[in-house]
Amino acid sequence: MARDYDHLFKLLIIGDSGVGKSSLLLRFSDNTFTGSYITTIGVDFKIKTVNVNGQKVKLQIWDTAGQERFRTITSTYYRGTHGVIVVYDVTNGESFANVKRWLHEIEQNCDLVNKVLVGNKNDTPDRKVVLTEDAQRFADTMNIKLFETSAKDNINVEEMFLAITKLVLKAKLEMQERQNVTQNDTVNLRKTNKQGKKKNCC
Amino acid sequence: MPVLTLQRSYKYIMYATKQPSLRIKQADLKCKSGCGFFGNADWEGYCSQCYRNHTDSERQKKSHQGGSSDHSKAQVSGFSKFEEKKRQQTDKKTRYMKSLPVFRKTSNVKDVGRPENLVDIMRQANPEANKLMAEFIAQYSQYGEGIRKDFLKCSQAFSNKIVKELDVKPMEDLAEIAQNYYNQYQNRVNSNPTYQNVPNDVKDRLVEFFENFTMISLYNFLFCPPTTNDEEKDLTIQGRIRKLSWVNAHHLDCCISETSIEVRDLVYTAINDLLGMDSMRAPQEKLACVVKCCRSVVEVLQHCQGGPVSADEFLPALIFVVLKANPARLKSNILYVTRFCKESRLMQGEAGYYFTNLCCAVSFIENLTAESLNMPEQEFEAYMSGEVTCVSAWESALVACEGMHQLREHLALLKGLSERTQIVQNTTKSLWEDMQKLKEGICESVDSVLERTPLIIKPRTSPLALTREQLLAQAAARTAPNPPEPEPEPAPRNFYLKNLSFGHLSAFETPKSKLQLDISPCIALKPSHSGDQLSSPAIDKTPGSLTPDDNSFLGLSKVNYDIDLSDLSTENSAADELTPDKRKSPTPSVDPFSPVGGSCPVAQPPLEPSRGEFVLPFLVEETLIDKSELTPAASLPPPLVPSAPEYSGFSKQGSRIPSIPCSTGDYSSLTSSPGHSNA
Repeated sequence: MARDYDHLFKLLIIGDSGVGKSSLLLRFSDNTFTGSYITTIGVDFKIKTVNVNGQKVKLQIWDTAGQERFRTITSTYYRGTHGVIVVYDVTNGESFANVKRWLHEIEQNCDLVNKVLVGNKNDTPDRKVVLTEDAQRFADTMNIKLFETSAKDNINVEEMFLAITKLVLKAKLEMQERQNVTQNDTVNLRKTNKQGKKKNCC
Repeated sequence: MPVLTLQRSYKYIMYATKQPSLRIKQADLKCKSGCGFFGNADWEGYCSQCYRNHTDSERQKKSHQGGSSDHSKAQVSGFSKFEEKKRQQTDKKTRYMKSLPVFRKTSNVKDVGRPENLVDIMRQANPEANKLMAEFIAQYSQYGEGIRKDFLKCSQAFSNKIVKELDVKPMEDLAEIAQNYYNQYQNRVNSNPTYQNVPNDVKDRLVEFFENFTMISLYNFLFCPPTTNDEEKDLTIQGRIRKLSWVNAHHLDCCISETSIEVRDLVYTAINDLLGMDSMRAPQEKLACVVKCCRSVVEVLQHCQGGPVSADEFLPALIFVVLKANPARLKSNILYVTRFCKESRLMQGEAGYYFTNLCCAVSFIENLTAESLNMPEQEFEAYMSGEVTCVSAWESALVACEGMHQLREHLALLKGLSERTQIVQNTTKSLWEDMQKLKEGICESVDSVLERTPLIIKPRTSPLALTREQLLAQAAARTAPNPPEPEPEPAPRNFYLKNLSFGHLSAFETPKSKLQLDISPCIALKPSHSGDQLSSPAIDKTPGSLTPDDNSFLGLSKVNYDIDLSDLSTENSAADELTPDKRKSPTPSVDPFSPVGGSCPVAQPPLEPSRGEFVLPFLVEETLIDKSELTPAASLPPPLVPSAPEYSGFSKQGSRIPSIPCSTGDYSSLTSSPGHSNA
């Protein structure tokens, strides 16, 4: 299979509305990286191919609605997600307070998923209300990587996306290894399937 | 397929442990059997494993007990009892359907004697599948016959498997089987030597085509199957959306400007795309409809706010569109796509993203509360119960839009109408001009004819001999009361003008002139002897009754005849000799009347005025005509000549008619009536 990528990952951006999820996505897909739009309209869905350790990784990033009212229903988005980017606004304390709820949301919807915490709008120190130390402490307790970015000034955006990509890739490779260990099971399953099929053909 | 296997493993985790839509307490989510795993509403509150066991045991019980399966149900309690009832209903439905000949195919499935045959039947009944087959041959035959055979083999195996399991296994298991087959075929395409020469993109297309083809041929079995409660779900969501018709863009914090025409058109496009989903058969096609719809929604938002559209705005807008569209069989469609569309497609890519959004929108609608619309509970309840009816901007915009729409349509209509009226006006004008020309032409011809007529009038001297004495006597009698000659001059002119002004009158002139020809001889006699006197009576009449009223003349003429009968009696005998018709009549004295009452008076009275017109030229010409008496007579057509004596009698009477009018008006008509009755 000669495809234009080695891995395909689905990433999800979640967070309160107005924290700049879309701007991050736009910045990432618009800048430096040799990516291609699949949709020229809207930013809610983007595809981008990046190079990690010589492997072509195709990322498709799904934007989600951050409003409180949609929180319970957005669970469908999590289906088949490899990584989640949780975004808050460093100039908005409430959005940071809600991060906990978002993390809980992720926990509810999928067990094995890689996460990063992103404090966006980190470009005007005067208006910053969520201190880096507090955020870092919180991230440490939750065992997540923290990034402070600015989509406006293009600070740390690429790094953040690269980091989550690496995490996801690592997890995937680990998973593959594990599956190789339990390969016997899968082989057996396939065999039974084929047998069933043969019966049908006769 | 490392990616796929990973995704599938994720899927299992999520299926087993997570409850997507409603947030319920953890305890409620647990499997009813108490195995510790999470349950699912679709599985009657069991986890997948326990549900399977449960249904299997149920089925066994049923097969043991046959028709009296109700006994077993007594043991089942609470929620499951209700669920059981539902199942019974659906079972009944399937049983009923099986009894129908149309569904015999399905019922035959169990005795899978010749599965190929069944699939053949299925395909015959499905023209779309045939079309697809033709398409397949057209597209992929270049890669060898082996591919076609293999493809057919695999798809048949798949179809047979599904059809075989249709009544035995729950839908979720069938979906599982379908997914397995998709993956198997994909692996086969990628590894089997048969497909060695096929390029990669064609391989992908083949895999997609496999899904498309099999799903279209199996659509009738797998879409909204009677073994599930999909239909009920459809009705539930439909009713729910109907109840929520009052929700507008404002409630959803969505920036759709409901009053803009462009936006509304785009929203309509989106709604149409969404509605189109139900008419599609293959899951991919349904997904394509969803993608189209969502793209329209994004366009709407771009139109409304400008700039890039984020999910924060997109989802409310999509919810709005779903609410306004209220698509048919929404749930069935979503479930069908979820079950039988290739998993990988649903979890990634644009189609997957938008489909997920659609699922979210539906789930939001299902669980919509006052809180989620940011309104007080009471207000929400009032809206839901219909106590308060909200004239939503959308509704009013629709009305306004309808008005505008109608206005535009009417304007277009009016434009067309005005164009047509213009044409009508133009043609009317031309017609009028034509008529004018015709009138002028007629007038001219009439004039010319009239100019010519005097020439013809003269020669009729032959009948003169017959009636000369009478005429003379009459003329002598009338000369006394007759007014002087100069007087009549204005009257005839008037009449002439009148004739000119009225087209129809002028049109009458021609017959008149023709008649003149006939009658002229008798009149022509008069001028020779007493032209002045003859013309004068005519003139008398015209001023007396400005309009050449036939009736008045009729009456007059009748009276005239009454009086003149004695005179005419002699004449009649002469006329009788000429016309055989008259001879037949028993009373010769009455005979002349009938023609007078019928045709003659009609012709005669107008004749008189026309006569009158020519009084002046006549007078002048008389001498001339007199000179050329013989020539016109020769020019006259032979049939006219004999007719002359025939009419002469009447014309004489006619000439006499004018003499009476001045004295007797209505009275004369009264007297005439008995004469008529005699006739």
